[in-house]
Amino acid sequence: MKAAIALWLTMVQKELREAWRDRRALVAAMAIAVMAPVVIYAATQTAINEALDRPDIYIKIDGQESAPRLISWLAEQGIHPLAAAPEEQASLWQDRDIQLTIPTDYAELIQSGRTIDVVLRADYTEKALLAPLRRVRQAVIDYSRNLGTQRLVMRGIDLQLLRVIELHEQDTAPTGNNTGFITLLLVLYLMLAAFLSGLPVAVDSSAGERERQVLELLLCQPVGTGQIVLAKLTVASLVSAVGVTLTLFFSALVIPLIDLARIGLAFTLDFTTALTLLAILLPLSVFAASLQLFVAFFSRSFKEAQSTVSMVMMLPAIAPMALTFVNDRPDILSWLPISGQYLLLEAVFKGSGVGLGESLITALATLTICLILSLVLSRRLRSQKAILSLG
Amino acid sequence: MLTVDKLSKSFGEIKALQDVSFSAADGTITGLLGPNGAGKTTCLRLLYGLLQPDQGHARVDDIIVEQQPRNARRQLGIFPDKFGLYNRLTAREQIEYFAGLHGLTGKNRAKAVDDIIAELQIEGISNRRSTGFSQGERMKVTLAQALVHRPRNLVLDEPTRGLDVMSTRIMRDRLRSLRDEGHCILFSSHVMQEVAALCDRVVVLANGRLAAEGTPQQLCELAGTNELEEAFVRIIGTDEGIAA
Repeated sequence: MKAAIALWLTMVQKELREAWRDRRALVAAMAIAVMAPVVIYAATQTAINEALDRPDIYIKIDGQESAPRLISWLAEQGIHPLAAAPEEQASLWQDRDIQLTIPTDYAELIQSGRTIDVVLRADYTEKALLAPLRRVRQAVIDYSRNLGTQRLVMRGIDLQLLRVIELHEQDTAPTGNNTGFITLLLVLYLMLAAFLSGLPVAVDSSAGERERQVLELLLCQPVGTGQIVLAKLTVASLVSAVGVTLTLFFSALVIPLIDLARIGLAFTLDFTTALTLLAILLPLSVFAASLQLFVAFFSRSFKEAQSTVSMVMMLPAIAPMALTFVNDRPDILSWLPISGQYLLLEAVFKGSGVGLGESLITALATLTICLILSLVLSRRLRSQKAILSLG
Repeated sequence: MLTVDKLSKSFGEIKALQDVSFSAADGTITGLLGPNGAGKTTCLRLLYGLLQPDQGHARVDDIIVEQQPRNARRQLGIFPDKFGLYNRLTAREQIEYFAGLHGLTGKNRAKAVDDIIAELQIEGISNRRSTGFSQGERMKVTLAQALVHRPRNLVLDEPTRGLDVMSTRIMRDRLRSLRDEGHCILFSSHVMQEVAALCDRVVVLANGRLAAEGTPQQLCELAGTNELEEAFVRIIGTDEGIAA
């Protein structure tokens, strides 16, 4: 046992030295951490602005001349007649074809206090129209309610009487569309950091050694292939973990500057949260490293390794995006690497809390897959095919 | 002592080695000679335990390689065919690494590394990174890493390829003194003159078979010529005659 540890230390020391001295690759790997504040700030600010922005709406209004005050109310809400649309938007709103019809006897009806039938006509199945239609509907209802209450006040009626029931709606989905986007962005960034930071080391210590023709001599030494894989995995995971830690550190600097509360994200990156995130991400660092080693060891050249490993890099990007489209998420997803971590991270960002149990299960499941990958890799490194492919 | 006993190895249809037996004794430089594709590399890979034989055994001292490959490798120093070095490590770190792979630690390792560096007279380059080393310097570092754990047996695969005259000389002198210290040295080459200049015994492989074995003198007599090169050509060209 003591000998095995000494051997492991010897190999880890050598891999670390090599990784440390390959400065250019190391800097490139850590760039994702340094870039974190810029990317996160820029992207979230854009998303927040978009979320809070209420663009002008242009609709066809029939009979607007008979209801000038309603029209000016609508204009205050950013709802304008189609004729007022700027040139570049005119055809868009023409096609969207939202039509508000005000009866010609509007003025007469309003004077006599009778109900006025106003018609809102549009294709309600069209998703792009949902937000504008909601705003038009709300604007008309608000106008009607305001006028109604004013009438009652004039007649000396207590407004309290109108409020028979006050319904408080509470949305249990903690985030809306845009907060979902920001969560996705933060989670994606952290997962990419895990995958990107260890990449150069993983490729260099496997495909690189093979290309520099030192791998065969290493295989001739009195060391098991399992020990070789373990040492290389240790160092690649370690570098990836350092990358993730740095990314978290830099994110922690910038996240307090972003007003996430404005879009309903209850998230602060304090020390405890950062540790939670790190604990979730560390198994992912090991997973990324083992997957990259697995792929890179069997590439014919450094170049080939780089391109195949780049495909592996798509995983943390594609998997979470795919997950956002899955409504009924099967349980297995919370066990698998990447999707498991994604769900945990998402929970942390949404502020809905992460159980120790589920985090442990996800971590164990991920590490088990790493173990299997490493065992298969060790076995393949011993195989005749691998030896013959060394040339 | 390295022994190859009725060793056979095929890759699909290709019979890389067929029933090859020879041994390399302690205190002797044994040349493993053969043209390209004769089966030298396969033979060495079987000795290192990288490949499994179809039949027969390879032995390092008394250890059967395919049964205990790691124990066998502990008794082996290997000077590989393509000696790539770790460019980002200094010569000393590189030698230290191999000492560590052979289980040396702490003071023992430091002493072993110091000793071999002194012995091969590479103190001047020991703290330089191997990028930019001359072929001769690379050869010495590779030799140092093969010898740092003081193996009884040393296997060299085409060791003088790409070396200049002076480096080749240094290498030969080193191998002779190792032999005189009682080491077993197996020297694989396809260069006739190299083997003739250095080896006490020669094993000739051709087409995966043992074509001949003996001292250079014996090989010449066997082939009926005074020149070893001529003998080599005749032996590998007419293996029926030799086998008779």
